[in-house]
Amino acid sequence: MSQFFRIPLTARVTLVLAGLMVLLGVIASQQILTILNRVQTERIRELATAHVEALSVALGPSVLRNDVWEVYDTLERAARASDKGRIAFTAVSDASGLVLAATDPRRAPVGSDYAALAGQAHTLDTLSLRGAQPVLQLKAPLAFQDRLVGHIVSELDVGDLLAERSHIGYLLVFWNALATAGLALVGLFATRKIMAPFALLAERMSRSVGAPEPIPSEDLPRGETEFARLASTYNAMVAAVREKAEAERRLASRERFVSLGRLSSSLAHEINNPLGGLLNATDTIRKYADNPNVVRSSAELLERGLKHLRDVVRVTLEQNRIDRSGVPASLTDFEDLQLLIGPEVRRRAQELAWDIQISEAAVARLPSSQIRQILLNLLLNASAAAGESGQVALGAVEAQDGLRFKISDSGPGLSPAARQRLLPRQPVPLGGGVGLRLVHDLVQDLKGHIILSRNDTGNLLEVLFPQEQTDEG
Amino acid sequence: MTLPRRNLTAMLAVTAAAACLPIAGRAARSFRLGITPVFLDNDANLLEKLGRALFEASGFRVEFEQRRTYEEVTGLLLQGSVDVAWLCGYPYLQHQDVLSLLAVPVWQGRPLYQSYLIVGDEDSATRLNDLEGGVHAFSDPDSNSGYLMTTSDLIRNGRQPASFFSRAIFTYGHRNVVRAVASGLVRSGSVDGYVWEVLAAEEPALTQRTKVIGKSEWVGFPPFCARKDRMQEPHILTFQQALFALGSRDSGRKALELLRFDKLMQGEPALFDGIAERMRDLDALR
Repeated sequence: MSQFFRIPLTARVTLVLAGLMVLLGVIASQQILTILNRVQTERIRELATAHVEALSVALGPSVLRNDVWEVYDTLERAARASDKGRIAFTAVSDASGLVLAATDPRRAPVGSDYAALAGQAHTLDTLSLRGAQPVLQLKAPLAFQDRLVGHIVSELDVGDLLAERSHIGYLLVFWNALATAGLALVGLFATRKIMAPFALLAERMSRSVGAPEPIPSEDLPRGETEFARLASTYNAMVAAVREKAEAERRLASRERFVSLGRLSSSLAHEINNPLGGLLNATDTIRKYADNPNVVRSSAELLERGLKHLRDVVRVTLEQNRIDRSGVPASLTDFEDLQLLIGPEVRRRAQELAWDIQISEAAVARLPSSQIRQILLNLLLNASAAAGESGQVALGAVEAQDGLRFKISDSGPGLSPAARQRLLPRQPVPLGGGVGLRLVHDLVQDLKGHIILSRNDTGNLLEVLFPQEQTDEG
Repeated sequence: MTLPRRNLTAMLAVTAAAACLPIAGRAARSFRLGITPVFLDNDANLLEKLGRALFEASGFRVEFEQRRTYEEVTGLLLQGSVDVAWLCGYPYLQHQDVLSLLAVPVWQGRPLYQSYLIVGDEDSATRLNDLEGGVHAFSDPDSNSGYLMTTSDLIRNGRQPASFFSRAIFTYGHRNVVRAVASGLVRSGSVDGYVWEVLAAEEPALTQRTKVIGKSEWVGFPPFCARKDRMQEPHILTFQQALFALGSRDSGRKALELLRFDKLMQGEPALFDGIAERMRDLDALR
């Protein structure tokens, strides 16, 4: 049954129509065959009655005299003259049940028992063609001058009638099949015509995956039909979906800055911490300007502090460069990521494990911007999940099936909401950030997969970029 | 007769046959000839040709008076309802005191014929005694070949004709006897040997389903008879001469050809001595 509902609606309506036609055909055919059977039975009864009456008239005196030859001669002549050889066999007995003569004397010899011939025979009243064999057996009393003088048993060849019935049956099946097929075809065209607006709707809905298109105003049906209402509702729905997608896109682009916001406090600390030392160094230089050793050591201190600040600023600038599209990723991106996540990790007194086992050539197959965005979001998320003094790790290996990045943390695991954002084809729940959803979309764009798992020590999130896809990238 | 049924459709009234004669004039005197289907079957073509031949030979318009049995035809002859009758030797001898021989057909060179005892072609019987307990077909109780021969054979064998067969039927026609045996209606039958031989030539499909297991001695062929007291009447004598002269005209030859006769001749009562002997055997039983 479930298979039936997978068939297109147009075909289903046609099938239902054809089914009803077949049902109608079967009932009508049954009626016709029943009437035919009745007509044929009446015909054969009339013929049998006439046969018996004629034999009674012709044979009565001969049977009364037990004139074997006259009975035989009459039967033989009657058989020769019978309607299309309908009477295949006849035997006549005297009143005591001994056969006087038969059209086939070898089958029913003179003096043999009539009852043995007429055992299964019908009487005129019970004669029927329903379920009949090609030869019908009939028995009847032979009356002459109002008294029983003998018995008749005849075999009627009804093979032609049965063949006629069978022929009509086949004709009915054929014409019914033809009519059903014809009407089903008409039904198919009619249904397709009726269903055309729905086909248009379906086509619009499936034209672009995930982005249904509205029905153009020129294609909208006129009037207040069901479909007109459906089409306008659909167009309104498409508009709403587009607005929602636009909002999501805006939110996603803003997410980058959200993650930067989260980084900014860390960066402030990162800059602020050495700033105290640097200011102290300038004070020391000012105070001991004439002491070359002090000035030199303070200058070196200043240089180290400023270099650190320079690196922090470079990485931050790199992360937020507006046009990075098309730049391939490199191992430097991982160093930058380590710098970017470093302050967050330290702030939470976390332990960061960093194990990049991939070659420059392998990583160059991925775009720099997207891979940085993916890994930074996942690392920030892992750091947040690991909590104070937790553990965060990033591993990258070149596996047989492609590039495999492993982000693990010692936290309690992803919340159901966060998991939904990461996994494919899950509707985004209301509320919450869009960072993880952005990760999902970016991974999907790069034709990668996200695999979530949990072991005794914490969470493991793997991002796999298969070989062939990475080749293309 | 059981001869060719080529044009046989239904029984033609004798008058109708006569009416067909193109040269039959109003003045032509009619002559009534008694026949039975025992010997002579209802062959319209044969009757028409025989009637024409006799008319041409005698000038008489022949009316065929046909009855079912020899008894009936003999009765017609005795009471004068027919002038001449084609009988069997047995009824002739039964009434020899009042009947005279007019003519006897000559078949295969002799005015003689036999009685055949026949059975179905697959029957194992080889003689009369093997047929005990079966159903037997006679042609007519007044037929020599179709009754008297077999019955007297049984008497000569010391058997009782009434109880030898489980059942005996009369078909009132030699051809019918052959049909009854061929169809299996009866096991055996007594039939005119001349009729069987003619049928074997004309309807071999019928006789092939039978076989002859006994033949009687040769006895006088079924004769044309007239009442003794009318034998000198001119028209009887004319008719007799016409019978003898059949072979001298085309029409007569055609009729003889159909009947497969050589000619008709004046027969002697002695031809029927064999039948007379058998009648005595039968009378002895009674």
